[in-house]
Amino acid sequence: MTERTLSGIGVTPLSGVGTVVWYRPDADLPEPPAPADVDAEAELARFEDARAAAEDELEAERERTAERVGEEEAAVFDAHVQFLNDPQITDGVTDAIEGGLPAEHAVQETFTEFVEQFENMGGRMGERADDLRDVRDRLVRVLSDGERVDLSSLPEGSVVVAERLTPSDTAQLDPERVAGFVTMTGGRTSHAAIFARSLALPAIVGVGEELQSVEDGTEVVVDGESGDLVVDPTDERKEAAAAAADVDIRHESVETADGVDIEVAANIGTLADLGPAVDRGADGVGLFRTEFLFLDRESPPDEDEQYEAYVEALESFDGGRVVVRTLDIGGDKPVPYLDLPDEENPFLGERGIRRSLGPDADLFETQVRALLRAAASADGANLSVMLPLVSTVEELRAGRERFESVAADLDAEGVANELPEFGIMVETPAAAFMADQFAPHVDFFSIGTNDLAQYVMAAERGNERVSELGDYRQPAVLRAIDATVSAAEGEDCWVGMCGEMAGDPDLTELLVGLGLDELSMSAVTVPQVKAAVAETDTADARDLAERVLQADTKAEVAEILTLDQ
Amino acid sequence: MERTVTVVPEDGLHARPASLFVETANEFDADVQLGRADEDDLVPAASMLAVTGLGVGHDESVRLVAEGDDAEAALDALEDILSTPEAKQ
Repeated sequence: MTERTLSGIGVTPLSGVGTVVWYRPDADLPEPPAPADVDAEAELARFEDARAAAEDELEAERERTAERVGEEEAAVFDAHVQFLNDPQITDGVTDAIEGGLPAEHAVQETFTEFVEQFENMGGRMGERADDLRDVRDRLVRVLSDGERVDLSSLPEGSVVVAERLTPSDTAQLDPERVAGFVTMTGGRTSHAAIFARSLALPAIVGVGEELQSVEDGTEVVVDGESGDLVVDPTDERKEAAAAAADVDIRHESVETADGVDIEVAANIGTLADLGPAVDRGADGVGLFRTEFLFLDRESPPDEDEQYEAYVEALESFDGGRVVVRTLDIGGDKPVPYLDLPDEENPFLGERGIRRSLGPDADLFETQVRALLRAAASADGANLSVMLPLVSTVEELRAGRERFESVAADLDAEGVANELPEFGIMVETPAAAFMADQFAPHVDFFSIGTNDLAQYVMAAERGNERVSELGDYRQPAVLRAIDATVSAAEGEDCWVGMCGEMAGDPDLTELLVGLGLDELSMSAVTVPQVKAAVAETDTADARDLAERVLQADTKAEVAEILTLDQ
Repeated sequence: MERTVTVVPEDGLHARPASLFVETANEFDADVQLGRADEDDLVPAASMLAVTGLGVGHDESVRLVAEGDDAEAALDALEDILSTPEAKQ
C-alpha cells in the first residue's frame, strides 16, 4: 500500500496516529414502511421520548461545553433547545406522523424543509440552517438508537473524519480516546478548530471533497501543524508522528543552551484553561484575560468570586508567576450588562484602561480589591498585575494610584492586602515610543503583539484583506518590540510577550535575541517553545536579531529566519 | 395591545437576542405575535423558527401584538430585550 497525502489547514501544532472512523450524521434513512403499517400513536410517543432525551443531552452538553470551552461556545445549545421545542416544528412532525411516516422520517422531512428555507435566505440565516441540521441529526440519532456512530464511545485511537463537526458533535467527543479529527469544511476560527486547541487535540480542517476518498478503518497520521493528512502511512512516518505526538513536556523551568533563564507561561481566559496550562508544562500564567470572568453573564462577578478565581490560578502553579491583566472591555469584547457606547471605531475608542479609569471605575475598584487581597494570600507573592492599552504616563500613574488608594481603604477596614508586582501591556505605538518614560514606574512590560501589530501597521485584526500588513513579522512591528526591550535595559523592569507571536517556536530564537525575559502563549505550544529555548544560544540569537532588525521588508525578515533554521 | 419597537442589538433578532426573546415570550401566558412594523403579517413570538425566520436586523422596527392577562408585562419584558444592546455571538 502506498502512502498518500491530503492537505488542509492544521489547527493545532500536534500530531496523532489513528484509525479513521467516518462520522456521517446525514446518512440516508432506510425506505419508510407503507403508511398503513405505521402505528401513528406509537410513533408520536417515540417522538416525544426522543425529544425529551435530546433535551437532556443538550443540557448536559451545554454544561460540559461551558466548563471545557467557555460560555460563549455553550450558548448555542440554548438555541438548539428552542428549535427542538418550536411549535412549528413539533406541529410539522406530528402532522407528518399522522400522515403515515415513522418518527425518524417525519423528523427528517420536517426539519429538512425548514433547513432549506433558511439556506435559501442566505447570510445569517445560513448559520441557523446549521443549527437546525444539528438538532435534526440529534433527534434522528436518538430515534434510530445507536445505528449511527456514537461519538461518545469510540474505540481508543480513533481519528474522527466528517464533513463538519458541530458543537453538539464535539461536546460528545472524549479527548482521552480520540487521536484527532479531520473535517472537509471549516477554517482556523471554526468551532471545531477552537475546540481542538482548547483540548490540545491534533486536528485538520478544510480538507475539501477529497476527504471522501479516505475509507473507514484506514490508518492515518494527522499532522495538525502542517495540515497534512497522511493516508496509509509508512512505518517510519508513524514512528516520526508518534515521536512528535510524544512531545517532551518539561514541567521544570527552562534555560537557553548558555544558561539564561527564560520564563515560558500560558495565556488563560477562564479557570478551565488552568488544567491544560499545567499539563503542557507552563511555568505560570503570562496573561490572565480577566474580562472572560465578566462576559456571558447577567451581572459582573463580585469581589469574593474574583478573589477565589485569582487564588485558584496562583495555587495551580508551584511557585509560578501569575500575571493578571485588569479588565480589557470594549473593542471587540462587548458586555451585555454594561452600557457600552456605540462607537464608529471601537478599537480606537474607549476600551481597556480608558474604561477602567472612566465609566467602569466601580467595576475596576472591585477588581483591584480582589487582586490586592489575592496578593496577600498564601501564594500571593507570585501575583503580578498589568494594565491594558496604556498610552500615556498619566494613565499608568492614575492606575497605580488606584491600587494604592484601595490598599489604604483595605488597611483601614483591617483587610489583609499586599501591593502586587505592577506592570503595563505595551500594545500601542505610544507605549512603545515612550517605553523609556514608562520603565522607571513599572516592574515589567508585557508586549501584546496582536494589538501592537494592529496599531503599528494600522491594519485591523481579523480583516483578511489587510492580514499581510498586520503580520507581526513586519519590520515596523519588530522595531517597536526592540524599542520597548531596549528602553527597559538598565532599569529594574523585565520584559515579557503575550500574543500569538510568543507561541511561534520558529521565532523563539529571534525573541530571545531581542532580549525578552518571558514568553506567554496558548498552552498548546508551550512544550515546543520550551524546546526551542533550550536549543538557543543567546550570542547567536542576538546576532540573528541584529540582522533581522536591518531587514527592510517582511519578505526579507522571513528569508533571514528561514536561512537560520 | 400593541407596541412598535426599534431593534437595538447589533445582531438584530438573531443568535442570542433571538434566543432570549423567544425564551421570554414563552414565560408569559399572553399570546404574543411579532411582525415588521411596515408589514401586516405576524408570526408567533414563542417560536424560535418564526422569530429568526423574520430576519429582522439591527435598527429595524417591529410590531409586537399581545393578548391575554399579562399582555402588558409581556410587552414590557420583550421591549426591554429589543432595546438592550447585546453581546455579539
